[in-house]
Amino acid sequence: MKLLVVDDEKNILKLYKAELEDEGYTVITANSGKEAIELFEKENPDLVTLDILMPDIDGIRVLRQMKEMRPNVPVIMLTAYDYRDDFSVWVSDAYVVKSSDLTTLKATIKQIIEKGQ
Amino acid sequence: MMETRDKENTDPKGIARLYELTRAILLVNDPEELLNTIASEVVKLFHARGSIIRVAHEGKLYLKASCNLPESFMADEAIAFGEGLAGMAVSEDRTIIYQRGEDPYRPAVMLDIQNAVSTPLKSGSNLLGTFTVFDKTDGEGNIVPFTKEDVDSLEGFATIAAIVIEKLFLYEKALQKEREANEEKQRALELSKYLQSLIDNTADAIITTDLNRTIQSWNIGAENMYGYTREEAVGKSYLLIPDFMLDIERVYTEGVKKGETLKNLETVHRKKDGSLIDVSLTMSPIKDIQGNIIGISGISRDITHRKKTERELIRKNDMLNRLIFISSAMRSTLNLDRLLRMILTAVTMGDGFGFNRAMLFLLDEERNVLKGAMGVGPSGHEEAWRIWSTLSMENKNLNDLIEEIERGPLKKDSFMDKLCCSMEIPLDEVSVLTMSLKNKIPYNVKDVHLQEFAAPLFMQHLGSTAYAVIPLVSQDKAIGVLWVDNHFSRRPITDDDIEYLKGFTSQIASAIENARLFERVYQAEKELENIFESIDDMLYVTDVDYVIRNVNRAVTEKLGMSAKDIIGKKSFEVFHHVFAECETRFREMVNNTDEPFIEEIEDKNSDNTYLISCSPIINSVGKPIGTVHIVRDITEIKKLRARVHESERMAALGEIAAKVAHEIRNPLLSIGGFARRLEKRLNGGLSDYAKIIVEEVRRLEQILNDTLSFVKSSRIERTELDLCKIIESVTDLLEPVILENKNRLIKDLKPLHVCVSPDRFREALMNIINNANQFTSEGTITISIDKRTINVIDTTGKLTKRNEAVISISDTGCGIKKEDMPRIFDPFFTTRTNGTGLGLAITKRIIEEHGGMIEVHSTTGEGTTFKIYLTCKEDEQ
Repeated sequence: MKLLVVDDEKNILKLYKAELEDEGYTVITANSGKEAIELFEKENPDLVTLDILMPDIDGIRVLRQMKEMRPNVPVIMLTAYDYRDDFSVWVSDAYVVKSSDLTTLKATIKQIIEKGQ
Repeated sequence: MMETRDKENTDPKGIARLYELTRAILLVNDPEELLNTIASEVVKLFHARGSIIRVAHEGKLYLKASCNLPESFMADEAIAFGEGLAGMAVSEDRTIIYQRGEDPYRPAVMLDIQNAVSTPLKSGSNLLGTFTVFDKTDGEGNIVPFTKEDVDSLEGFATIAAIVIEKLFLYEKALQKEREANEEKQRALELSKYLQSLIDNTADAIITTDLNRTIQSWNIGAENMYGYTREEAVGKSYLLIPDFMLDIERVYTEGVKKGETLKNLETVHRKKDGSLIDVSLTMSPIKDIQGNIIGISGISRDITHRKKTERELIRKNDMLNRLIFISSAMRSTLNLDRLLRMILTAVTMGDGFGFNRAMLFLLDEERNVLKGAMGVGPSGHEEAWRIWSTLSMENKNLNDLIEEIERGPLKKDSFMDKLCCSMEIPLDEVSVLTMSLKNKIPYNVKDVHLQEFAAPLFMQHLGSTAYAVIPLVSQDKAIGVLWVDNHFSRRPITDDDIEYLKGFTSQIASAIENARLFERVYQAEKELENIFESIDDMLYVTDVDYVIRNVNRAVTEKLGMSAKDIIGKKSFEVFHHVFAECETRFREMVNNTDEPFIEEIEDKNSDNTYLISCSPIINSVGKPIGTVHIVRDITEIKKLRARVHESERMAALGEIAAKVAHEIRNPLLSIGGFARRLEKRLNGGLSDYAKIIVEEVRRLEQILNDTLSFVKSSRIERTELDLCKIIESVTDLLEPVILENKNRLIKDLKPLHVCVSPDRFREALMNIINNANQFTSEGTITISIDKRTINVIDTTGKLTKRNEAVISISDTGCGIKKEDMPRIFDPFFTTRTNGTGLGLAITKRIIEEHGGMIEVHSTTGEGTTFKIYLTCKEDEQ
């Protein structure tokens, strides 16, 4: 199971990679929107976690491109705060509020993967 | 001897004389002559000195015939019955014989007689007179007495004399009758002659026609007046009536046929030479003996000349009075429409200027047109007749009509009026009307076909062939024109008419100017009044003694009093309990300065904010005579302004918060995340340290979430809940902390359902109760639920009632300082050293998200009460 983790903060990528690899996933990381699209195309991940605020291309546009390329790949949006209503119009599969406690994120990933299988 | 001689004397002679007399009666026609013959025959028969025949008339005897009466005899003297011989004969009804010295009888008249016989003359029992013979002689001059035979003879003569007298009476009667008849005949003859000469010599034309108006008779006056001879006229119909008068003439005829007499109609006739003359016409029906109308007589008088002099004389006299009257009426009328109607009535009334039709055009300077303002006059001949006959029947004069206009309702729907009001003549169009206005001179158009620019299109609508236009000039400025014509009577408009109208128009021009000015002032006043009444600001006017002179609707509504209860009172009496501070301020300002001022004032009594403005009213000599006060309640505006301000701040805050959140959250996330990893892998004391990092990061993340929760505007999901239960759950949670501050918690709750997002609402309540607890120690915190009903206007604009839950949270703490009050709901405002300052701001946000309201009342040192108003469930839709 290959996960693509996208965030502009390298420390966060490092944390997520470590935590999620602990859970048994293969984790590749991208620290910009552009890199995320490239990796998404090249590496063909099974699931993507995507930060909304990124300097080059914002997460929303990345999400849209990914859904156009491969609509079946689930994408989890990571938000700095609760954007629930705004997200309801977007076609992400889930959203998780960023927190140092990764329990929610891990649970969500597990849930989506189990549902997809 | 006497008897013998008598016999000799009388018999043959007497009979012969009687015979002759009888013959004479038959032959002689004149009874008076006959009586004289009888008198003299008797004298001859008796050789008497004389005889007297008297006739009786009304108790007296009058001398009628006599023979040989002496000159001294008073022939004229009548004698009464019973007086003298004749009178005795009458009263005793027998023949009386008189012998001087023997008889008791005495002759009435002074006749020196020796003897006499007097006998009454009778026809049947009817007394006619007396016959007296005196001094009988023997033929040789010796007087002898009358014998019995003499008396018989005399009575015989008397019978004849009676017949003659009777005949005389009859004759006289017949003569009298004949004389009277002759006189009568003479008189009739003279009258007829007189009438004929009257008819022939009168200057009036007297014409009779049959019912078909065919002329039957035609007098010399008519010949002279119209130029037709009798032969030319008789047998013709409508000879004199001009074409345009035919309709009216027929109406006249119908009237006469019904038996009316039309007196002194002023009309127009056409002469043989074709010229028109003014006539005064009296038409009356001619009736036969049975009273059937068989013809019409018309007497007409040429009043062309009279009219001229009359117009000149009468008008000159009347005009002054009329002008005085009209102008006084006009001056008292400031309503423009009424004024115009008066003017036009004066112009068209018979005892005014007498024109048939009139219109007023006023100059519209803005649009550069002459605009029809009002018109009067009949729409056709029929109406003209009807109006004029009604007016003459009602006997209304100009004064009555003007008064009617002054008081009565104004009718503005006549044909002429509509026509006139629809007219608009651009000033650059060349016509007599515009020329009159521009040149300020009158025009008398005697024939539209002969004068240039006299027949523009609108004139053709009116069908007028002759008219006059007079400019209305006020203070050397032409403000309009007056148009008149005599369309129905065809009376030519004279230069005199124009002169009089000129005199009149100069008056009406200034009256119109006045009325227009007044109308403008009135309009302006009305507008001001409207503004005064309709503005929502409270507005009142006081004089220098602070007595209220006027107030507007906003004031009366605010005070709940009627304007008349307010006006006349001192302003502080009325307003001190409503906005005392404003009132005080007004007075300070007014006392100190006459300058207008505007100020915002917070009224502590009512907690309202007012924007007050105060301007002095200065009279024409620069002295202040009062003050205009305007008070605008800006409490709501201020609140609104504050809310706008707050939301602007919120929006800015939201952006900052989002940025901060992003910037802080990520490093926190790294710190916290790696600390968690460390915690798992480290042992003993180091693991505890890592745990501290994890905890602190969690706390920081919580603050971050609180902040973001405040700025986000997520839709809340509500469920129906019992308010009691929510409050219980919150107080359960907070009870330990409340007890910690040694506070007592009092709950006065009743079940009341509201629709809220449980978590969010709980958060709001928790914030307030926490807040109350933090500022209170060894005091009381009271939480109560109430229900109130308020009036609200729903979305359809209908007033409905709504139930609200009122949650009060009171404490007996230190209270909120007055200067802090406006800011307590501001984000980041806190008086605690360890607070985020977001608690109450979030609370307010949450309450408002629920469509509720929160307010706070606080007194320093006594405590604070928060009140939350929330719509009850049964009213939610």
